[in-house]
Amino acid sequence: MASLSSRVWLMRLVYCGLMIVILFFHLLPLDTVPRHFAPPDLFVAFTFAWVTRRPDYVPTLLVAAVMLTVDLLLQKPPGLLAAMVVAGCAFLRSRAATPASETNFATEWLTVTGVLFAIFAADRAILGLTEIGAPPLLLSVSQLVLTILFYPLAVVLSQALFGVRKLKHSDADALGARS
Amino acid sequence: MAKDRSQQEDYSGPLKRLLLGVVLLCLIGTFLVWRIDSPRVERFRAQVTDKVVPSMDWAMVPVTATINLLRDFQSYQRLSEQNQELRSELRRMRAWKEAALQLEQENARLLDLNNVRLDPRLTFITGVVMADSGSPFRQSVLLNVGARDGIVDGWAAMDGIGLVGRISGVGQNTARVILLTDAASAIPATIQPSGQNALIAGDNSAAPVLDFLENRELVRPGDRVITSGDGGVFPAGLLIGQVAADPAGRLRVRLSADYERLEFLRVLRHQGTDPVTDPGGVVGPMRPSDTALVPETGGDTDG
Repeated sequence: MASLSSRVWLMRLVYCGLMIVILFFHLLPLDTVPRHFAPPDLFVAFTFAWVTRRPDYVPTLLVAAVMLTVDLLLQKPPGLLAAMVVAGCAFLRSRAATPASETNFATEWLTVTGVLFAIFAADRAILGLTEIGAPPLLLSVSQLVLTILFYPLAVVLSQALFGVRKLKHSDADALGARS
Repeated sequence: MAKDRSQQEDYSGPLKRLLLGVVLLCLIGTFLVWRIDSPRVERFRAQVTDKVVPSMDWAMVPVTATINLLRDFQSYQRLSEQNQELRSELRRMRAWKEAALQLEQENARLLDLNNVRLDPRLTFITGVVMADSGSPFRQSVLLNVGARDGIVDGWAAMDGIGLVGRISGVGQNTARVILLTDAASAIPATIQPSGQNALIAGDNSAAPVLDFLENRELVRPGDRVITSGDGGVFPAGLLIGQVAADPAGRLRVRLSADYERLEFLRVLRHQGTDPVTDPGGVVGPMRPSDTALVPETGGDTDG
């Protein structure tokens, strides 16, 4: 049981490390010319992939801290995207907890797509309402579409590289007894 | 055991929900505080950047260099083609160089004749670009010079040729430059030779828009765009670029600075332009009787 707990903490560290690596490559001064499309949001894709598989690896506080740091360092409105990702995680967590979610990948992908679209719409609405000014539509839409397309890859990478898989029933019992 | 667990879940469920609520409130609170009191939060952001990014620098420099090296390898493939281009460009440049040398001599002669003293306070600090904004939605770069080196918010940053942007956000060891292409950037400019004033407003594209132009008829594609120094933030006369018309007929600025490779930037020290308060002082030296004359003339016009 102690090994299980230490594994959870290890994976939390791995999650932090993954986010730092992504952030690092974002910050490299390679692209100083404005582009017409935006790359997928890897932070969100990986966070959602992990939270649907192993919610205990990405606790709320950790997601909030990571996303707020990302917002601060990448010159985004601080806290806005972080709040929405945390809310999205909470939703996905609740769905992952119900037994009905023992379903195929297509349903999961559809759910995540819904959450991503909700975040996209809410983000633009709030930026508009608070008169900050939303970024060009093409940029946001391309980021949304690419993030949705990237999601399966994030899932495959998480499973293959980091061993983040959904728990089977027996594991879940062991874990439930621990917590 | 099962009962025990369900009790724990009963207990931890609401607690988790409470935690979620508090975290969400904090994050939304941060956003609202940023919206209301932006400078304070931006200062905090600059401090966070100041702590985090320099600690990554040891890894960022070699990785950036490697990726740039790989990109250069790609460009080796069309080396001969590039060689041809460069040769023809060089021929044209020789002609320009000749013209420039002649003009330089002429300029020096004229300056000498006029006894012109160029602004001696306009010196610069050179900084290395450490990081970019990291997201395609914002256009900015981070320099490795900061408050320690005397950098002040609002100063102009140039590469060797043209204006690149404006300092916005200074940490102890780092300073952020908002590029002219950023949607939040607006720089007052003058268009030569017509002398029209305009605002160079970035819109997340490679060529910023010419806004608030007084008379469009007088401006032609190819005209030079320089800073006007209006508002006292920037020194006047820094080269920005050339006017160009986009397919929709909107006037834009083709920037002179090479945005493909921003590696070193010069930050111009600028102490602000002295405001002209007393028109008499500009026209001629002040005589002792001038001050006494002022109320009299005022009285004359009244009567």
